[in-house]
Amino acid sequence: MQWIASGFLFVRGYSLIHRMDPRIRLFLAATLFIVGLLSQSVVELSVLIALCFVISLVAQIAKRFSKSLVFVGGLSFVVFLISVFLSHQSVTAGIINGLRLFEVIQATSIFFLTTTPDELEQVMRWFRLPIDFIMVFVIAVRFVPVLLMDAIQIMDAQRSRGLEFEKGSLIQRLKNTIPLLVPLIAVAVTRSLDLAEAMDARAYGALRRPSSMYVLAMRASDYASLLCFALGGALGLYIAFFLKLF
Amino acid sequence: MSQESRVGPNEIITIGGLSYRYYGSAQLVLKNIDLRVSAGEIIVVAGKSGSGKSTLLRAINGLIPHQHSGDYSGSVIVDGLEVSSTKMSELATKVGYIFQNPENQIFMFSVERDIGFGLENLGVPRREIRERVDWAMETLGIKHLALRAPHELSDGQKQRVAIAGVIAMRPKILILDEPTSLLDPFTAKGLVKVVRDLHDSLGITVLIVEHRLDLVAQIADRIIVIDEGKVIYAGPPREVLYNSETSLYGVTEPTIVRLAKLLPFGKEALPISSDELGRQIRDRIKEKGRVSPA
Repeated sequence: MQWIASGFLFVRGYSLIHRMDPRIRLFLAATLFIVGLLSQSVVELSVLIALCFVISLVAQIAKRFSKSLVFVGGLSFVVFLISVFLSHQSVTAGIINGLRLFEVIQATSIFFLTTTPDELEQVMRWFRLPIDFIMVFVIAVRFVPVLLMDAIQIMDAQRSRGLEFEKGSLIQRLKNTIPLLVPLIAVAVTRSLDLAEAMDARAYGALRRPSSMYVLAMRASDYASLLCFALGGALGLYIAFFLKLF
Repeated sequence: MSQESRVGPNEIITIGGLSYRYYGSAQLVLKNIDLRVSAGEIIVVAGKSGSGKSTLLRAINGLIPHQHSGDYSGSVIVDGLEVSSTKMSELATKVGYIFQNPENQIFMFSVERDIGFGLENLGVPRREIRERVDWAMETLGIKHLALRAPHELSDGQKQRVAIAGVIAMRPKILILDEPTSLLDPFTAKGLVKVVRDLHDSLGITVLIVEHRLDLVAQIADRIIVIDEGKVIYAGPPREVLYNSETSLYGVTEPTIVRLAKLLPFGKEALPISSDELGRQIRDRIKEKGRVSPA
């Protein structure tokens, strides 16, 4: 699980990529994602993957980025095997499918590793998503560390009463998680009720479109980046559709 | 009877014949409560757990009857508005509510964003939000925490952030439901000082549910004792704390009161704080050379 999480949990930084407007970062990731998804070429996909690595180096997230590669690489290999042996596609098509999955996950990872939850929320507001949907996201992310602490406390309490979570067969270990999950769910439900009251007490729901304390503002460098990424994306799509690369 | 005639001059909360039963419950939690609160008062609500204290406060800020269904009768008028027929969002600008656990009332990813949460919900313009958030942070002394994430704060800091989020909405009434229950004695004392300072500087009306009367008795204008959904006593702190019957209703005698009762000071001296007791002992020594029966 840590391998997957490390590829998507925000890393605080002050790189060129971090300083960009989050909408430009989203545009970059979406461009890489779409071009990768539409590409039919091993060469183009390999270039895109290399580009993702270069971006991760510029964003100073290469270490964290690489941690998830074992998992993503394994998943891509499974896609290759399914394409070749179950779907009876050619080996080249299998490689393309595997590389494509690898590339789109990398593109997504770049966005999430460089975007704070606060920025993500602002991007959602900019897209005019419903406030309830945005708050579900905000609270889910905000309460991850809180629920983690709750889980640790419950585990300690159950261990101090003699429960051994790591003991027994796989089935037994799964059963061992019940004394953790039941109180954890109970705590989470209680918290959610308290939260609902506290939100109502601060006028939540008064307006369909609340105002915002922060506003996203593009700088000259953001417009320049947008132009570069748009040109790069157009080139990528041209290659994907009109050049017959291997 | 018109609403104006039911509300006395300078009254900010008027409760008349309020009874309430939670949905699915057999018993009434509040039984025919009558209470009048003047603007600028500090009121401590005391009583056993389950006596109806929190339910009474929820009836003042509108969570009851708007968010909790149940049998509701009587009237609660807050700053001229009948609670049962006023929207929660409008009441939120009149009554600020601080819950027991500050963790569950901080929603956003940074302190300043969270303080601005209520103002955003009300559609306050960005510049005004900024001004009010800065003012609230300065008032609570948490400006240095502005960009911190909630999980980076101590419990005392979280409680201050929660209060800042509420006072940024400029309510006339501040309700605190056992605000010190998760705090150590030192931090709890600091929080009580913050509440008193807010009252003194903003003239805000304060209602506090608190079991540790040692902490809050000295800032209270009145203590209200509730038991089984009824107001048993309501009066000045000295009157309630030196009444031997109040302990029957879950009111723990503050240490100072217990100590004062052991001293031979007579009935005219009823200290409720260590400062007052110290002063009285000093006066007695000055007067008689020793502490002896009156």
